[in-house]
Amino acid sequence: MPVSIPKSGSVAMSVDQTTDAPVIERPPRRPMSLQLKMGLVITGSIVLLGLLAPWISPHPWDTISMRTRFVPPNATYWFGTDEYGRDVLSRLLMGTRLSLTMGVSATLVSLAVGVPMGLAAGYFRGWIDEALMRLADVLMAVPPIMLGLLVLAVTPPALWKTALAVGFVYIPPIARLARSVTLTLANEEFIQAAKARAESNSYILFREILPNAWPPLIVEASLRVTYAILLGSALSFLGLGAQPPSSDWGLMISEARSFIDRAPWIALAPGFAMCLLVIGINLLGDGARERLDPRLKSRMGKR
Amino acid sequence: MLLIDDLTVRYRTPGGEIEALSSISLKARKGSTLALVGESGSGKSTVALAAMGLLPQEATIPSGRILFDGQDIMIMNAEERRRLRGSRIGLIFQDPFSVLNPSLRIGDQVGEGLVHHRGFSTRRAFARAIELLDEVGIVKPEAVAKAYPHELSGGMRQRALIAGALASEPDLLILDEPTTALDVTIEAQILDLLEQLRRQRGLTMVFISHNLGVVRRIADEVAVLYAGQIVEQGRTEDVLQRPIHPYAKGLLAAIPRLGEKKGRLAAIPGRLPDLRNPPSGCRFAKRCPFATPDSDKPQILRELGDRQVRCTNAEALRDTPWPRLSEGEQSAAIAPSPHAGPVVAVENLTKTFALHSGLAFKGWRPVATSTQIRAVDDISIEVAAGEVLGLVGESGSGKTTLGRSILRLVEPDSGTIRIAGEMVSGKPQRALEAMRRTAQIVFQNPDSSLNPRKTIGELLARPIERFGLAPSGEIPARVRQLLDLVRLPAHYVDRYAHQMSGGEKQRIGIARALATEPRFIVCDEPVSALDVSVQAAIVNLLADLRDRLGVGYLFISHDISVVAHLADRVAVMHNGKMVEIGPADEVMNAPKHPYTIKLLSVVPRVDGPAYQANHK
Repeated sequence: MPVSIPKSGSVAMSVDQTTDAPVIERPPRRPMSLQLKMGLVITGSIVLLGLLAPWISPHPWDTISMRTRFVPPNATYWFGTDEYGRDVLSRLLMGTRLSLTMGVSATLVSLAVGVPMGLAAGYFRGWIDEALMRLADVLMAVPPIMLGLLVLAVTPPALWKTALAVGFVYIPPIARLARSVTLTLANEEFIQAAKARAESNSYILFREILPNAWPPLIVEASLRVTYAILLGSALSFLGLGAQPPSSDWGLMISEARSFIDRAPWIALAPGFAMCLLVIGINLLGDGARERLDPRLKSRMGKR
Repeated sequence: MLLIDDLTVRYRTPGGEIEALSSISLKARKGSTLALVGESGSGKSTVALAAMGLLPQEATIPSGRILFDGQDIMIMNAEERRRLRGSRIGLIFQDPFSVLNPSLRIGDQVGEGLVHHRGFSTRRAFARAIELLDEVGIVKPEAVAKAYPHELSGGMRQRALIAGALASEPDLLILDEPTTALDVTIEAQILDLLEQLRRQRGLTMVFISHNLGVVRRIADEVAVLYAGQIVEQGRTEDVLQRPIHPYAKGLLAAIPRLGEKKGRLAAIPGRLPDLRNPPSGCRFAKRCPFATPDSDKPQILRELGDRQVRCTNAEALRDTPWPRLSEGEQSAAIAPSPHAGPVVAVENLTKTFALHSGLAFKGWRPVATSTQIRAVDDISIEVAAGEVLGLVGESGSGKTTLGRSILRLVEPDSGTIRIAGEMVSGKPQRALEAMRRTAQIVFQNPDSSLNPRKTIGELLARPIERFGLAPSGEIPARVRQLLDLVRLPAHYVDRYAHQMSGGEKQRIGIARALATEPRFIVCDEPVSALDVSVQAAIVNLLADLRDRLGVGYLFISHDISVVAHLADRVAVMHNGKMVEIGPADEVMNAPKHPYTIKLLSVVPRVDGPAYQANHK
């Protein structure tokens, strides 16, 4: 196809490569895996229930009623009532809010600190890397619950402190992941290209590397939410989180402990809820991992 | 020996079923070498995998037979196929660096098959491995057999792999791009070795390659594959010297040849058809300059003399060459103006890397060693405006380090660098703003050089924004100009890198470098990752841009023919030293340094005197 070139403008180009290019061969989106769908449904409905709690609770969550103490599950009180005659279902729904808020904000804390740490360590290497990672090691060496206890023991307990403490505990895994992703990305040629136009380090870290590091980080973070909820519940169980009469799942279990032989439903309800949420988020995270990393997969296939 | 009859292979993919091979029929006669050539996506590796019975699970075979020595491989069960692979067919893969298990000794890996298939004792297998290593030309085979893969060079590993494939005394050897990962000098040795083994052992070989020059050296017969079909098949010399099918013509025309007068290379426009539903007519018709209305009808592979061609117009096209380009505009090329000083002047540049190579043994005592490697050793070069300085050398010769040191992406140890009159060496990185605008770089790997999370528009706008080259309102217009400059349509601004082909990505890489309006560009192997036809288009583009914008290039490549085609002057690097520099024609036609002479003598060519074996 010899192309005769109009003398006016563009350079003599032998062949126009792009004449028939507009066909975009973007593959059709893959159908979602069953795992991902189930994860989405479970997690989504729990989040929804938590959000709508004040409006859908069948009974007030904190009204004490001595006449209805220890009522087993029935048509009026689906999940029964507790030792003060409060509706367990209503309390559970309100607790969902607290537990989710705690888990999510704790994870945000660890992302906010861990991601910049990991990016800097992986990109600059050398002594910065050493210092940051040894710091993370120290943090990891302390058992999570001890660290939480330490933070909370010296100050009066509050839910936001629990979230902060739990977030702090889970910084190292996030930082390590961010670092390892950065290590691979830092060798890509587009980073060299950014250096070749004298981009600042913060531009390279946050505008070039971070967008590519998100998929694995999001997956990791979603799984961290479950750990955070579990650890937060454990701290609440020990009386260091939510304060009565408000109640997250951990505190509910803790309070129900003394009546477990007489009224097991009080403890079982939050226990099951926690199981369900953890399973849901795990399914979601694993499904998302498979879906978000196709680039990784196809690369490994090629070599 | 190997007969493939009417083989069709389909792959199930998320996007639909792909027909990777469509009724392929091939025959490799005993003791001969059959080459399969084609660009990426042509299906050549699928043929090899099918012949070995190693197709992945996603593959289905709706029709066809594969006969090995009269036995049908397709009706065998997995165990019988395994035995066949272990005893009569050997397979050699492209990448000698990842095929060998890094934690096993070479001798054990070479002899492994003997232990499993022949019931050799480990000791006997090891002894036999030493003999085999000796046979494939490894000096000191005993020592090499005891070594681990990381202690060997690429060429040695490929030899070891060949030895391993030979261990089972196969009759058929299938080689999938066996020399692609190797330097030309090593490649030549491996090809010599294969030729010699074929004669000694009466091996039949199926040789898969994208490199026509390599194929010419080794193959008796060649089959050209395009989009899962054989488009032309015949004796190697016939097909390469007088191709009939338009695709074969285009492929050959796109290859730069040593010593040929400079012009633009012939490129093949367009891209592979969508194999999810391949066109019913000629699959090449869309890209074919000779296409006629007849091309839309189904094409069959017809006998034409002693070869087969899949083209209705074959007779008419027999002597028509691939269209050359209108060369009119080239004379308008801006000659580098002699009075303007060099854009880049580098003096006595040196860069040393310290490799902590670990432990060496002094007698019994392990001693920590660190090797100093002079990647760039006292090099001085100059590049004038509008000049292309080609830089040739094998892997590890320091080409890339030199290119990046000049731009201060790697910090040189000593030496002076001047870019556009500005002293660049010795300044802190912060003070390099002006230089970063004047000098840019184009990378080798288009997959890695574009940020996958950014649209093309963002990628091209950033340099303009970064250096404030246009008010923000004008940036979209500038981006469109850049796209136009590299001949991509304006609607590409919304695309992401993964939505484009390799050649298009490389165009974006070039456009990004041009965005800062540089006067000097380091092109670091810009075409090495591309198919021949695409490579030609990119080389042409670079040449056009030089003529139009007067940019100076440092064009780094391991492929001498490409460098010779594009460069005004050529520098040859060897082990960090520059061994020769001079005008391109002079270096190519009358090389002075022994290394250059050697390098030129081993380049696989598709024309000129046929290669003589054993002329080391």
